[in-house]
Amino acid sequence: MTIWKFMRTMVAAVGMAAAGFALAVEAQAASLNDIISRGTVRIGVLTGAPPMGMVDEQGNPTGYDVDVANLIAGYLSLPVELVPLTPPARIPALQTGKVDFLVATLAPTGERAKTVMFTQPYSAFNMDIISGPDQKFAKLADLEGKRVAVNRGSSQETALRKAAVPGLEIVVYEDDSTSAQALIAGQVDAVALPSTVGEAIIKQRPDAGLQVGFTFFQQGNSMATRMEDFEIRQWLNTAIYLMKISGDLDKIATKWTGRPMPALPTF
Amino acid sequence: MSYTFQFGVLAQYQDQILSGICLTIKISVLSIVLGCAAGIVLSSIRSIWGGTVRFLVDAYVEIIRNTPFLVQLFIVYFGLPGLGLRVGADTAALIGMTINLAAYSTEIIRAGIEAVHKSQIEAGEALGFTRFQIYRHVIIVPAIAKVYPALCSQFVLMMLASSICSAISTQELAASAAFIESQTYRSFEIYIAVTLIYLVLALALRAVLAVVGMWLFGRRVARRTMTALPEVQA
Repeated sequence: MTIWKFMRTMVAAVGMAAAGFALAVEAQAASLNDIISRGTVRIGVLTGAPPMGMVDEQGNPTGYDVDVANLIAGYLSLPVELVPLTPPARIPALQTGKVDFLVATLAPTGERAKTVMFTQPYSAFNMDIISGPDQKFAKLADLEGKRVAVNRGSSQETALRKAAVPGLEIVVYEDDSTSAQALIAGQVDAVALPSTVGEAIIKQRPDAGLQVGFTFFQQGNSMATRMEDFEIRQWLNTAIYLMKISGDLDKIATKWTGRPMPALPTF
Repeated sequence: MSYTFQFGVLAQYQDQILSGICLTIKISVLSIVLGCAAGIVLSSIRSIWGGTVRFLVDAYVEIIRNTPFLVQLFIVYFGLPGLGLRVGADTAALIGMTINLAAYSTEIIRAGIEAVHKSQIEAGEALGFTRFQIYRHVIIVPAIAKVYPALCSQFVLMMLASSICSAISTQELAASAAFIESQTYRSFEIYIAVTLIYLVLALALRAVLAVVGMWLFGRRVARRTMTALPEVQA
């Protein structure tokens, strides 16, 4: 008797949950005017990946992305609401309308371009393989049979999977700093990090004896909008063009990475 | 424009989902068995010995119950290698979950032990029971029977909290979901599917625990187990 009652409750609970999700989720197409009439612009920035995005001593978002986001908001003449996002949360936050667009060190990839729309690159860095004090790697083939940490859904994860080094085990963490922590703790042999992030971590932890092995590709980063927001994307491209010719973008790049922005092909 | 669900993409990742489910079940069941056993031992120890032993057990329980599970996991996975003790992600998850569940079980069973009335023990003594017989028949079994529903709720919570282990690269169900999401960017579909899988897993675990309860303690306890819904974890 009781078992049946329990079974009934169980079926009802599963059914209710399924029904709740079946309701269609509406995604609003936004225009630049919607943002302006709302009075604030919500920009998603990266967090947990110094120097591109992190928090300062007061807990406020800071970094390359934040400077660019503030500059963009300045072009719009609107107060900015920065939404710090971990790498795996970036695209979902954009899709669910939590942010108007991303300035979150997101690299354009073919796979991602099926889901979001990319602007021209606004930052770039080298992707490095970094190891501990006991071993050093000079090329991809050296990683055979090794464990390499990457952050989930990152372009370095995609690139390493594509490289298909035999016996290479890719270990996935939530962000760059956890991946680096895994190397420092000796849980992995190496970590794939943007050179900017790698340099910052090597500087912060000189005791760990981390060393840069080799650069396995150069990554450009774009802002991203939802698929239907053509108008916002076109405006962002215009703003990036203006930031480039005014020299503001080079100033931000020099401030955070120590060198001006490398010239990248545009699309 | 309304969102178009595409659940079809999940089909090609069923191996990942299955292996995630298997690992979730494996670490959950193992940590429940080990954590519960540790809880019985620790709560018995603190009720038998007083003084320093009781203080140490209580300190352990309070430290674990008042710190975040994620931090405990990080200490096991990233902290222990510093002491020369390196464990893999799956083992670290199992250790972390067992340590966590042992503390909660100790606290729950302690309440059961303290609820055994003194007159019951005296009755046992009057009947000529040995100390071990009193401990077994009068104290620990009735104590666990009393708190069994609460214990089961904690087990279900622990199974759900195993999703946190994805943060240390344990490839359980939540990690599988995150992997598929990072490959397809179909977040809604994946998390809806995973929510339903966790719901079914939790209800199935509860049903299994009810059957175990019926076998160990009889019908009355089992009925309470099934109707008690899990508390929401903050």
